[in-house]
Amino acid sequence: MVRAILCAGACAAAGVLLAGAMKADGISERARKLHFSSIVVDTHDDTTQRFLDGKFDLGTRSSAGSIDIPRMREGNLSAIFFSIWIPSKVTGPEAVDRALVQIDAVREQVRKHPNDMVLATTAAEIREARKQGKIAALMGVEGGHMINSDLGVLRSYAALGVRYMTLTHSGNDEWADSSTDKAVHNGLTEFGKGVVREMNRLGVMVDISHVSDKTFYDALEVSKAPLIASHSSCRAICDAPRNMTDQMMKDLAAKGGVIQINYHVGFLSQEFRNSEKADPEINKAISAKVMERCGDNEGCQLIEGDRITREYVAQGKLPRVDFARIIEHIDRAVKAAGVDHVGLGSDFDGANMPYGMEDATKLPAITESLLQKGYSEGDVKRILGENTLRVMAEVERVSHELNAAPKK
Amino acid sequence: MRRVFAFLCVSACLGAGFFLAFSASADDITERAKKLHFSSIVLDTHADTPQRMLTGNFDLGKRDTEGHVDIPRMREGGLNVQLFSIFISGRILGLPAIQQALDQIDIARQNAQQHSKDLMLATTAEEIRRAHAQGNIAILAGMEGGHMIGNDIHMDFGKEVVHEMNRQGMLVDISHVSDKTFYDALEVSTVPLIASHSSARAISNHPRNMSDDMIKAPAAKGGVIRINYERNYLSEEYRSAFAALAGDLRRMEEKFKKECGDDNVCIGKAEIKLTRDLTDAGKLPHVSWEKIVDHIDHVVKLVGAEHVGLGSDFDGADMPEGIEDCSKLPKITEALLRKGYQEDDIRKILGGNILRVMEQSEKVSKEMQAAQ
Repeated sequence: MVRAILCAGACAAAGVLLAGAMKADGISERARKLHFSSIVVDTHDDTTQRFLDGKFDLGTRSSAGSIDIPRMREGNLSAIFFSIWIPSKVTGPEAVDRALVQIDAVREQVRKHPNDMVLATTAAEIREARKQGKIAALMGVEGGHMINSDLGVLRSYAALGVRYMTLTHSGNDEWADSSTDKAVHNGLTEFGKGVVREMNRLGVMVDISHVSDKTFYDALEVSKAPLIASHSSCRAICDAPRNMTDQMMKDLAAKGGVIQINYHVGFLSQEFRNSEKADPEINKAISAKVMERCGDNEGCQLIEGDRITREYVAQGKLPRVDFARIIEHIDRAVKAAGVDHVGLGSDFDGANMPYGMEDATKLPAITESLLQKGYSEGDVKRILGENTLRVMAEVERVSHELNAAPKK
Repeated sequence: MRRVFAFLCVSACLGAGFFLAFSASADDITERAKKLHFSSIVLDTHADTPQRMLTGNFDLGKRDTEGHVDIPRMREGGLNVQLFSIFISGRILGLPAIQQALDQIDIARQNAQQHSKDLMLATTAEEIRRAHAQGNIAILAGMEGGHMIGNDIHMDFGKEVVHEMNRQGMLVDISHVSDKTFYDALEVSTVPLIASHSSARAISNHPRNMSDDMIKAPAAKGGVIRINYERNYLSEEYRSAFAALAGDLRRMEEKFKKECGDDNVCIGKAEIKLTRDLTDAGKLPHVSWEKIVDHIDHVVKLVGAEHVGLGSDFDGADMPEGIEDCSKLPKITEALLRKGYQEDDIRKILGGNILRVMEQSEKVSKEMQAAQ
């Protein structure tokens, strides 16, 4: 999830964008074969917000948004982390309640589509789902504020199947600083360090997307298991605090972690970011329109935000960002951190998608582009999913080890 | 958890020696009863031990001089399946209720995990049988109060809740509910109901107990009533003497609440001490554990041995003399044998009946999930 209220992924009318988009037939046979024989894991999708209106059906191909079962099938998205997200400003027991509602919504969507989806909580379960021809659904909690400073709540989420938690969202929480808020904790508090240790024990991945640089380094020091940045891109290309510097990626990799590249245009393109900054009225106007159309329906806000942003691009008021930028970020991260430490964290249904990556059906274009860039098939498979699966397995191993260790 | 006074509900405990004089000789268990009891699945559907876990320094693995349930005493009493009650005061509603319920579920799980040599978390009849076969005590959780799901309850929603519980394979417990709610649930539920901790009104006319009709109707559909050992629910004589003192007791309750704050265990201790003092002073009558057997026998005579079981309310109620804690449970087996009960029937009462309902609930749940 990118912005407080507006931010989204949308599927523009197919015809309009055909010129700019990677044509479906632009995928080589080799890329197609490689892509569809790989396990493709996406560590961050905000589709959960769309579940909440009670009308959305994951099984039906939608003309809006980026994710549904038919389109995941078409793009071979094999494992998806549905984000459990509420704004940072919602705190206390209400945050817990709303997180539970979203966890339930994900589980219910999975239950309603037993032939296509299965809830997974381990790397082995993702592989098993794949064998059965099903899409693995997983959950990540996007923001430590949702545990209301209560490790019992964290454990409850873990018991319900949550497998990563982003330590903060866009605001600081009670025990960690965010990258987009004024630092008050100097990184992680002592309690925050305890949260990381308990996540290690539970086998819940520690996600450092959104957190401040100091929080990242504190978490890196405390965590006994590799970290992930579930949906962040490279600061060297686009200087957003939500992105990671080359050094941060290197340090993340040194402990076995993975950065999963975010496709949000504001994180991919410095030019886009500059234009937004240069004319803050544009974002205000987009927000106003979104609120007018959606009220407090967050699922609607996300989808409409992306759609309206594209109207501004069409009018030449914001630059057009092509999906090839995703490849540049992957390549930069590979150079900084190594090919074993990069993955995919789209932010579909929660951000503004670049042209050519409107939805999950477009994912083979990433495989095609990486092959064209000279990446080996093995390396492409790692980026598509194997790196994330490796971190998951390692986090599970550390969890077993910590649980087996004799009590103090 | 019982409700002794207006709304406080608690746990207690006695010095072990204190009541020795009143208890029927605990050592008087025959070899036959011992053999039967310790080879059976003995399942209790209601203990408020999580309240004690919340106090912080409680350790389920250590024999306590207070309270009613811990691992050493469960082993001694052959209690090998315990449903821990997730209880928060009915005064706490809405969002805080949800988080507090989660915390209690978590603390019960944490305790089970900390004692994995003795305890095993179970959610199905099969898992209970497996735990028993492995010599482990099976731990389950029960939610005591629909307010913990955080919604406004109105008629249609309540029926939907029952329907969803059926679908999820959760047992529908009608202890505590009004008679009208009871009959509504009976109509709606496709799975037999349980009364997890209620006794017989025919013996003690307390609203928390079940009338004969309220025992018969669910039994006809396969349900089970689990006898509660609370003195008020066991004995009419005690109940009426207690009711006569209601004004005094309520005043004392206010005092305890001031002294203890939110600590339910502390309030419970003070309350039990008070009722002990009143009993010693002759203002409340003694209640013998044998009343438990009277209640079981009443239900058996009414509907047969297939529809009754144990729902002690350990750590949440005022125990009768002779069943001061779970270590004393073999006495019930002994008493039922002496009454001429068949061994098979005793096994059903000790645990088999609820396993039957659980299996049926699991079957219905699977069918409902497959049907959509």
